[in-house]
Amino acid sequence: MDLFLMTVTTGVMVGGIYALVALGWVLIYKCSGVLNLAMGEMTLIGAYVSLSFYSMGFPFIVALAISLVIGFILGVLTERIFLDRLIGEPVLTVIMVTVGLSFFFKGVVELIWGTDTRVFEPAVFALEPIRIGPLIIGQVYLWSFIAALVLLVVFVSFFKYTRWGLAMQATADDEMAALSVGVSARFVYAAAWAIAFMAAGVGGTLLGNINGLNISVSYLGLLVLPAVVLGGLNSVPGAIVGGIAIGILQNLCGTYLDRYFPGGVKEIAPFVFMAVFLLFKPYGLWGWERIERV
Amino acid sequence: MSTTWLPCGVYHQNYSQDQAWFQTNFIRGKMILLFAILFIGIPLVADDYVLSVCNQIGYTVLGALGVQLLIGFCGQVTLGHAAFLAVGAYTSTLLILEFPWPQVLLDAGLAYPISIFVAALVAGIWCVLFGLPSARVKGFYLILTTMAAQFITVDFIITQYVSQIGGRGQAFSLPPGTIKIGPWVIDSDLKVYYLMLVLAILCVSLVVNLLRSRVGRAWVAIRDNDISAEVMGINVIQYKLFAFFVAGFIGGIAGAFWISNLAAISPEHFPWFWSLWLVGVILIGGVGSIHGVIFGSIFMVVVMEALQLIIFWFMELGFAWAQPLFMDFLFVKEAAFGLAICAFMIFEPNGLSYRWWQIKNYFNLWPFSY
Repeated sequence: MDLFLMTVTTGVMVGGIYALVALGWVLIYKCSGVLNLAMGEMTLIGAYVSLSFYSMGFPFIVALAISLVIGFILGVLTERIFLDRLIGEPVLTVIMVTVGLSFFFKGVVELIWGTDTRVFEPAVFALEPIRIGPLIIGQVYLWSFIAALVLLVVFVSFFKYTRWGLAMQATADDEMAALSVGVSARFVYAAAWAIAFMAAGVGGTLLGNINGLNISVSYLGLLVLPAVVLGGLNSVPGAIVGGIAIGILQNLCGTYLDRYFPGGVKEIAPFVFMAVFLLFKPYGLWGWERIERV
Repeated sequence: MSTTWLPCGVYHQNYSQDQAWFQTNFIRGKMILLFAILFIGIPLVADDYVLSVCNQIGYTVLGALGVQLLIGFCGQVTLGHAAFLAVGAYTSTLLILEFPWPQVLLDAGLAYPISIFVAALVAGIWCVLFGLPSARVKGFYLILTTMAAQFITVDFIITQYVSQIGGRGQAFSLPPGTIKIGPWVIDSDLKVYYLMLVLAILCVSLVVNLLRSRVGRAWVAIRDNDISAEVMGINVIQYKLFAFFVAGFIGGIAGAFWISNLAAISPEHFPWFWSLWLVGVILIGGVGSIHGVIFGSIFMVVVMEALQLIIFWFMELGFAWAQPLFMDFLFVKEAAFGLAICAFMIFEPNGLSYRWWQIKNYFNLWPFSY
């Protein structure tokens, strides 16, 4: 029972990071309709930037803030240079541009930072685990989860209560109506990419703290897909729930199924789950249902 | 697909002329010349390096043909085609290594050809399996399913289970002399080149022939509007699954062909990158065009080789920055591939085949292009 509880808790903590990145993904999709496959490389860039500044001796918070700023700039630039010209193009075109972007980012990251695993040194979070009742949790997990939660709250309240956030919600809801009341759609698209880039960077940094940072952190960008499919492609609460659910699923499979299917169950389980889930409920738990006869 | 205008004064009088392989004697002559160059000219002048580049082009053509069929002609986007190439390659290798072939077949050199065919069938069936969701979902959801196909097949089943068969560890190496067709042992770039030519020509003819038949028209109808296709009496699901089968079949042939060029095969030869690469090839070549497959393959392979040569040349000239670029050329390749896709999607979304079509029409209609 302890094992089960431990597994679930770790799953929830890691899932918080997934939720953060999934939020960024959903935001882009909701606001501009772009299905983004470059999410993983966006996490990589943010993570490597904050790691570089941290190794230079900046405090962790400052390094994270710098990576947020750079993420913001890169997000706006990406949207302006690449995605802005593709408004109204077919879905495949836009998806393949994001795929092209992901390769471009990945190649550049590999050229600049190499492929060796790098760690945050000295360790950002204390190494000794915390005991809560029967549970033993690594501090890294706990703080990552808290950081992810704080950011999630910040982003969600940004949408709910600020003028810009409301403009983004309006555009996502009905672009034509939003345009007619004076919301600038181009501003909203750029903001969505900037926020997604920032969220991805934080997610990558936190995950890099847990496992060390190398190119495989970009796998996070693919893990986001099962999460958003579960929650519904255009639902912000869905992304959060989906991210946490995928984190739990992954850890449960890693703990209980690894004995029967040795090897990469943990990596593959979310995709198997996604493929099966798509067959039964393709619009996810809270996604908009477009009734489409296939 | 865009139609090519016929030269001034040439008219078709019935439908079969419209669909003919060689519509004029000039085209027939052109194709014969092309075959002569491919079969005689290139082997005469090319050294091993050029031949190996040609083999890469051929492999890319074979792989991208199935992707083109699914994306360009049937509208079913696939981002996991390397999985089916992997299934083909592994089936063929395992058959050669583990199957108790009768001595007669081994002596006649039929083991490899038979294994290619079986590999193609297995890959086709595997592809249909992952095409089944297309009966219920389309668009982005189908993309996700085919991505799942890639990870489930290559990263899980093949890496964890298939690679363990026979206790060889990760890579399956093929002993020299096992890849043999009839009396010829495929052991040099030249022989791989001829095998590639024959397979590529067979597969391209197969696909073109399917496309100008009832099946191909059904696929195009499904791509353009699946609801009206169904109204016209096309069994949409059946034809979609058939498209998946043919695409997987050709993917299997591509995979089984490529083991003749590799000393050892391992899952790293079929990464997700390769699936995306194949989609990139058809996007750059032009979606919905068989020319596009070939132009795209030539463009991507040749540009990447040229890039490598240029960086090598800069390194020889003594530029310090070129050294790490040459060492990590794989990363440069990834970045260049990404940029190329973005640039083509933004500036030339119709691909190279559209330019080719325009050039051809210009000369066909010259000097009265109005």
